[in-house]
Amino acid sequence: MKVRVLVADDASFMREMIREIIEPEGFEVVGQASDGVEAVEAFERLRPDLVTMDIVMPRRSGIDAVQEIRSIDPTARVVMCSALGQETLVMEALAAGATDFVVKPFRPDAVLSTLRKVLEKDG
Amino acid sequence: MDLEKYRRLFLEEVAEHLAELGRALAELEKDPADAEAIDAAFRMAHSIKGMAATLSYDGVVALAHCLEERMQRVRGAGCADSSADLPLLLRGLDALEALVAAVREGNPGARAAPELLEELAGEGPPVPEPDRLAAAPAPAVAEGPASGLAGATAPTAARTPRELLRPPPTVRVRTETLDRFLATVGEVILTSSQLRALSDSAGSGDAGTEVVEGFDRMERVVGELQRRALDLRTVPLLRVVEPLPRLARTLARDQGKRVRVELAGAELELDRSILDRLSDPLVHLVRNAVDHGLEPPEERRRCGKDEVGTIRVAARREREAIRIEVRDDGRGLDLASIRRRAAEAGLLHPDLAEDLPDDQVAELVFRPGLSTARRVSEISGRGVGMDAVRATLESLGGRVEISSRAGEGTAAVLVVPVTAAVQRVLLVGLGGEVVALPIGKVEQVVEVPAHAVERSGSERFVLLEDEPVPVLDLADSLRFAEAPPAGHALLVLAEVRGSRAALRVDRLVGQQEIFVKPVPELLSPLRALAGLTVLADGRPVFLVDPALVS
Repeated sequence: MKVRVLVADDASFMREMIREIIEPEGFEVVGQASDGVEAVEAFERLRPDLVTMDIVMPRRSGIDAVQEIRSIDPTARVVMCSALGQETLVMEALAAGATDFVVKPFRPDAVLSTLRKVLEKDG
Repeated sequence: MDLEKYRRLFLEEVAEHLAELGRALAELEKDPADAEAIDAAFRMAHSIKGMAATLSYDGVVALAHCLEERMQRVRGAGCADSSADLPLLLRGLDALEALVAAVREGNPGARAAPELLEELAGEGPPVPEPDRLAAAPAPAVAEGPASGLAGATAPTAARTPRELLRPPPTVRVRTETLDRFLATVGEVILTSSQLRALSDSAGSGDAGTEVVEGFDRMERVVGELQRRALDLRTVPLLRVVEPLPRLARTLARDQGKRVRVELAGAELELDRSILDRLSDPLVHLVRNAVDHGLEPPEERRRCGKDEVGTIRVAARREREAIRIEVRDDGRGLDLASIRRRAAEAGLLHPDLAEDLPDDQVAELVFRPGLSTARRVSEISGRGVGMDAVRATLESLGGRVEISSRAGEGTAAVLVVPVTAAVQRVLLVGLGGEVVALPIGKVEQVVEVPAHAVERSGSERFVLLEDEPVPVLDLADSLRFAEAPPAGHALLVLAEVRGSRAALRVDRLVGQQEIFVKPVPELLSPLRALAGLTVLADGRPVFLVDPALVS
């Protein structure tokens, strides 16, 4: 069984890149969201195994979305995607319930190892 | 990783981000405290930085980073400083666009001027606590340090307006794919009317009634399909008017002038093929307004005007057309100079030059070879002028008009059809041929005795309501064989370049809605042929634009 992933990022460029990194490695991108509101909606609908979440997004921030997702499903696994220099926001996100984080620009091996680590952690 | 694919995705997405950044900065010029605009600008800079970092476009990363930081500080201050921040941010945007253009042209190593980066990083509004949200758990208003965080503190209040403004989800389609689809819809329309014609001529029994009803239904559905298909091609005018404010500001700055650009009606939608070709004329008109219309600040002050000139680009719908007015509040056209130059260029007899009414003098700017430019600007240097603007508009089935008042300003009006592909036409017979005239251009059809068409030298005219109207023989203009003279003359009255003319035809064939295809390359030198279609009986027919009949 492939791991079902929801990818939330306001840049389709980034979503595409994550898809390309993880799909050959046993993950399947079952949904994409371009802002925090869509991310929460898609999470409720798809109940993915894992969510990758950008922090800075329109309408509703990634941090706010994580909080909402964790209130819907306290076991949800959410990996934040942050840019360098956003350490404070990352802490904020972890406090809001995010499981782990990866830093942009993405290094494929770092992304994959983080996702695998997160799956083991909760599994 | 397929780098080329990501480069393409990057360029596509960044173009949209840059446009939104430009839009946000324009909003900030109007209202420096517009929280949504501040948010959006920050987010765009941030997002561009992230994408560029992934592809190691370091020049773009560095500049986007400085812009992001600057926006972060603006957000902390709650308001952009219109004299310090905005000009700098706009310069930053210009530079960012240039860097992205360099990436597009295969030079990803380009970097912004270090001075610009320093200035962006330099003195701005005081830096607030870097992450105020963490320090202050629940501020009463949504003013978190990261825009995205606004929702965390005041979710409903912060979200609603943006949700309302947010466009519905979209899909990107290549124009080529869309056009192939539209061409197929066109074929469906033609085939269905050909079938209908066949069934009509085959006669009908009891079974015939059902066939006819079937055709009626199909016609309705096909009509709906056609309308929806054409909607796919429409794009908001915003796409071409959006860059105008910045263009005007940049030009004005270089000349020590000041300008404010107002846009109205930019949400109106029109066919993409028309829209794309409107860009050059609009750029030209705005450039003219800045170069030749607006006065320098001190001159404006002397005239009792606001030092900052205004250019208003306003669009509105007029039945099946969009009317776009570009109006400035500058010094107006120099009519005396136009008179003189027109006489010098041989466009006008010197004796007539003084007597010609002002509005007709203004129209002379559309004649090739007349330029009132006091100095060679970038565009006039390339030999593109108002004559090119007129040629473009006419080739789109539209028109351009200009009016001006000394000391008060100039207004140019562009009128273009909303859709290019489908037109209602009047089919007329010329000898053995049939041609189509756009019904929008036809005023009325009259029949007069042949002798009412009088000759005056090589010109022919007819008196209609006591007014002489020039008569053009359409068959002759199009080099078709002329029909044998008849006892009466059938005249189609149409507007030809602003004045009334009568086109002589042999017979009326009918009215029809046709799906217009472009004229084949081979025939393109014949300017009057505006398009090609196939009638229900399979005959090809040319669409003739009266404005281009000589």
